[in-house]
Amino acid sequence: MSAGNLPTKEANVLKGHEGAVLAARFNADGNYCLSCGKDRTIRLWNPHRGIHIKTYKSHGREVRDVHVTSDNSKLCSCGGDRQVFYWDVASGRVIRKFRGHDSEVNAVKFNEYASVVVSAGYDRSLRAWDCRSHSTEPIQIIDTFLDSVMSIGLTKSEIIAGSVDGTVRTFDMRIGREISDDLGQPVNCISLSNDGNCILASCLDSTLRLLDRSSGELLQEYKGHTCKSFKMDCCLTNTDAHVTGGSEDGSVFFWDLVDASVVSNFRAHASVCVPVAKREAMEGHSS
Amino acid sequence: MESDEEDMVFFGTPITREEDITTTRKKKSVAEASGQLRTLPPWKQEVRDEEGRRRFHGAFSGGYSAGYYNTVGSKEGWAPQTFTSSRKNRAEIIQQSIFNFLDDDERSELEADSLGTSMQFDTFGFTAAEIARKQAENEQQQRPSAIPGPIPDEVVLPATDSIGVKLLLKMGWRHGHSIKDSRTDSLYGDSSNLGCGPDSQLVPRAYARREARKAFLALSSKDASTQLAAPEQVEGDLEDVKELPSDINQYSESTPVYVLNPKQDLHGLGFDPFRNAPEFREKKSSRLSETKELGLRKPLGMRESLFGFNSNTSAGRTAPGFGIGALEELDAEDEDVYASGYAFEENYVQEIEEPSRLAIEHKKKSGEKGDGALPGFKVASNSDYQLERFSPPVIPKDFVPRHKFPAPLEVNYKLADVPPVEVPPPEDNNLKVLVEGVATLVARCGKLFEDLSREKNQSNPLFSFLYGGNGHDYYSRKLWEERQKRNDQTKQQSNGNMFPSAKKMTAESRGEILGEKPLERSTRDLSSSASSADTISLQFNLSDTFTNPASFTEPQEIAKPFRDDPAKQERFERYLKDKYRGGLRSKDSGGASNMSEAARARERLEFETAADAIQKGKWGSESWPANQQLLDLSTATGLQFTSAGVEQAGVGQAQEMMMKEMYPKREEFQWRPSPVLCKRFDLLDPYMGKPPPPPRMRSKMDALIFMPDSVKDAKVEETAALRKDLFSESKEVTDIEAEVEVEAENVERPVDLYKAIFSDDSDEEEENSYLNQVEDPQKKVEVVNTTLSRLIAGDFLESLGKELGLEVPPDVSGLENKAGISSIYKENANANKGDSSSLSAVSGSYADQGVPQGKTYNREASQVIVSDKHEGLDVNTYRSGNKTADPDSSLEKSGKVKLEKVVQEDKNAKTPMGKRGWSSGSSDDDRSRRKSSSRHRRRSSNSDGERTDSSDDYRDRYHSRSKGTKKLSSRDHSSSRKHSKHRKHRSGDTSSRSSRHGSEKDHREAKRDKRKWKD
Repeated sequence: MSAGNLPTKEANVLKGHEGAVLAARFNADGNYCLSCGKDRTIRLWNPHRGIHIKTYKSHGREVRDVHVTSDNSKLCSCGGDRQVFYWDVASGRVIRKFRGHDSEVNAVKFNEYASVVVSAGYDRSLRAWDCRSHSTEPIQIIDTFLDSVMSIGLTKSEIIAGSVDGTVRTFDMRIGREISDDLGQPVNCISLSNDGNCILASCLDSTLRLLDRSSGELLQEYKGHTCKSFKMDCCLTNTDAHVTGGSEDGSVFFWDLVDASVVSNFRAHASVCVPVAKREAMEGHSS
Repeated sequence: MESDEEDMVFFGTPITREEDITTTRKKKSVAEASGQLRTLPPWKQEVRDEEGRRRFHGAFSGGYSAGYYNTVGSKEGWAPQTFTSSRKNRAEIIQQSIFNFLDDDERSELEADSLGTSMQFDTFGFTAAEIARKQAENEQQQRPSAIPGPIPDEVVLPATDSIGVKLLLKMGWRHGHSIKDSRTDSLYGDSSNLGCGPDSQLVPRAYARREARKAFLALSSKDASTQLAAPEQVEGDLEDVKELPSDINQYSESTPVYVLNPKQDLHGLGFDPFRNAPEFREKKSSRLSETKELGLRKPLGMRESLFGFNSNTSAGRTAPGFGIGALEELDAEDEDVYASGYAFEENYVQEIEEPSRLAIEHKKKSGEKGDGALPGFKVASNSDYQLERFSPPVIPKDFVPRHKFPAPLEVNYKLADVPPVEVPPPEDNNLKVLVEGVATLVARCGKLFEDLSREKNQSNPLFSFLYGGNGHDYYSRKLWEERQKRNDQTKQQSNGNMFPSAKKMTAESRGEILGEKPLERSTRDLSSSASSADTISLQFNLSDTFTNPASFTEPQEIAKPFRDDPAKQERFERYLKDKYRGGLRSKDSGGASNMSEAARARERLEFETAADAIQKGKWGSESWPANQQLLDLSTATGLQFTSAGVEQAGVGQAQEMMMKEMYPKREEFQWRPSPVLCKRFDLLDPYMGKPPPPPRMRSKMDALIFMPDSVKDAKVEETAALRKDLFSESKEVTDIEAEVEVEAENVERPVDLYKAIFSDDSDEEEENSYLNQVEDPQKKVEVVNTTLSRLIAGDFLESLGKELGLEVPPDVSGLENKAGISSIYKENANANKGDSSSLSAVSGSYADQGVPQGKTYNREASQVIVSDKHEGLDVNTYRSGNKTADPDSSLEKSGKVKLEKVVQEDKNAKTPMGKRGWSSGSSDDDRSRRKSSSRHRRRSSNSDGERTDSSDDYRDRYHSRSKGTKKLSSRDHSSSRKHSKHRKHRSGDTSSRSSRHGSEKDHREAKRDKRKWKD
């Protein structure tokens, strides 16, 4: 993918939220988009046609993250009410509420089979919740973090999480091992490369860092944007050729993966056509 | 017999046989019935029973002709009217009304009196709703909608029923029906006596009864005449706006709503000013309603009201039945005013033809035309009444539409002004004095004063200098001088606060002023060569984290209480600096990393007292001139502002450099996924078959209690990398040792807890001493050595075991456990004995390495001793143990100490921001110690001769440290309680931390000792 193919303008503006949008996530095939925000709602959109499909209301406080299963049948969301909600997409009803986090929950993710929800909270813990059984107790609590856990990534056998304590920790279930990569800077958001070999970590010193997962080496640093106080999302493009990340001034940056040069950056508050979750400038997109 | 019969005397009349009579009567009745009776008129017919008898029942009960064949029953038998068989249908309460008891003629009269509204009086908006519904239906017929069938009412119409209507509906009332009795289905009676006034003509024969019924129906006849006017007025409007439904009967039953007309005029009761001039009444009412309804209402033309109401057509056209009062007056009784059947059709068509709005407008216009003039009158061409208008006041040309405030004190008088030429004062001394006075005043009070005095003394020749007359030059010069003087003063005053505002206030500068020390960045700087003495300084940091900024005046020349010791003096100065700057105290206050904790603490105290003394002015020069202080202030603040920025920049750069070097770094720990998690992820549990970790003992108390220790957590992380290297170097760790420790720990924990809570410390000590005494005095030294080493080893094991608690199966049965433990204990004891007996050999074999390490640990050991002193235990034995101890034991001891620290550090990792806020870089010292301790462990495992190259296990052990913190915390908690007890005995112990460690250790050692000896 050349730089020309990168999106440069907003394809659609999805208006409807009555407050800041805290996260926007695409579904697995990129046809739908979920957003959640301070208005305590989750909204389901068709981003390509700009249609608001459904609103999910049940959260008592702001919704910080949302994730949808690969079969589009279930949602999970989390937020300031310290609960993880497990939704039925079609009916819009909450199937289960997982309580247990001691403070706000920052991120949630389904695993591949949509059988487990993993949530990361400000209480320095990761919790795994079982969707199959009816229990609302976490099946695993990981509390080796020293500070708030901000972001989660899941592979088939690993749980990866980035924390404000500066570490990106990988919990490998196959070998029963925790690998902690200390970046020295609070990690805001992590994102896996599509081949699964690298982790892109957004740090609060306005730097994105690309780590090799097998060795823990720092492969590249991407700078130029500002990210000092807000949680800004970052990810790699579908071809893994570029790195993209949001900036606090409301623009989206694209870097070349290898030489870390800023390929393009544009001012946008709206969704970009990257079929991965993409987060907009937090303060801008309160449409 | 016959004679007998004849002899009989009969009294009275013999009873004739009934049969005979009946037969005759029967015959008669039959004959009557068949013959004449049928032809007779009803009033001549007689009621007889089947026997033909007439029965007289009494004068009051109907005479001969009462009831149904002389019964109260009917043909169907006797049954009350209200009775219904509950078998088939529930009894209904039948409301009796007066109509049940009325004759036909009475009923018709009554019904003629009862009033109902026409549908035009639309109280509840039903008519409008109906109309809307019909309209919708029409529309729907015209264009078929997507929904088949009639549009549901609730879609089209707003469902706004008042509560009263709802209640009525509940009671069975339906829209469009009057609230009067449901059985009266007839319309208004056709009788014409609707005027209802007492003065109206009434049929005389029914008069009394009608009056009674009127009362019954709550129809006050007095009100009726006035009330009727109200609906009539509305009628006219409604007629314009709405369509009229075709079937009138449906609506005509609506109940009238009686609106009481409030008395708004000032006439006396019952006085009617329009009695003889009804046209004026119309005029007035039309005007009133016009003003009320904002012109919506069509005022009735006066002509019509005057002349038109007799003819049906005209009245129906405009406002049918309008003006009943006039009707009454004219006794137009034959007018069927309230009949609902007047010419609606005509109107209806008309309304369709022209839009209603237009019609209204048109009518309004026509109304306006006729308005204001009665027929026969003309509107005056020029009215007497005219509004007088006044032109607005003329605004002077020089008016500025802004308020000018009186001139402020001219503080900011421009110094750049060219000073007036110096002029000699005028000869007139009076004038001179005056000029000077005025100048001073003007300078002080501002230009306003000058203007004022100029105005006031316009005519006064003495003040001519104000206009440029005599002495003006001198005045201006004087004024300038005065201003100059004042400016200097004010500038001096405002200098202090002008300065900061000139600079842009940043968060740092503000913090500086407020006496905060900027928080250090969360990154842990390895470079800072902080000593391990943080254990002590920590407490101080916490106790006086925020020192009050004493003042900005940093004493330039600090008194030197420690002249003899330059290093100390230097530390003192640094301390003072910290103190005066306030804010968070830096962790490394003296750079005295080579000092012991106790010494540092003592020095800290010393400094504190010295500083206090200095503040009180015992030392140094306390009498500084005030202005110098001022100067100092400004310079000091200036320095602070600038220096802070520079420092920060430097620090940031350095940090960045460092960051690049050391990050990212990787660590690896053991982590145990829960079986369910593995199952859900469709993975094999790597720990399948291995015993599950023991349940966590976590209480919130622990987190609270050990909150302040959170500073140290950072060290673990930092040293981890180094350790990793170490691990890769050495891949052998004893497996057995670890397991032994684990199991031992698992068993003893409850005892420990129990003891911590319930047992006194003293008896432990006693036991300890007792145990010591039991030994052969000759072997005392040796025994002491072994005990000590065992104690130390045991403690070490214990602490290790705690960490490895994860591995211990909690569900092992007691017997098994005990057996295992006893064997383990034996093993352990044997090993320890072997260690101590082959002490020389071991020490010999490790002499080359052991000696330098022993050095490094000397201090550690000495600290322990220091703290032991406080415990009041046998110091000598410890000392001797220390002295004679092989490097092994001492090393282990130090290792244990270190481990305990580590454990505590881990524990404190619970506070989220702890790490960032308290960047306590671990010292090289620390690390080296840890390194060597781990090395030592390796060595001891070598001595045991069991080599396992499971580096993983070692890592696991390290990792489990963090896991085990929660369990540990409970233990620590208990131990801390003990310490608190101890602290009661010890007073003024400043080095609490180290002593704490010591005491904790001692107790554990004692307990361990006991157990072992029992074995």
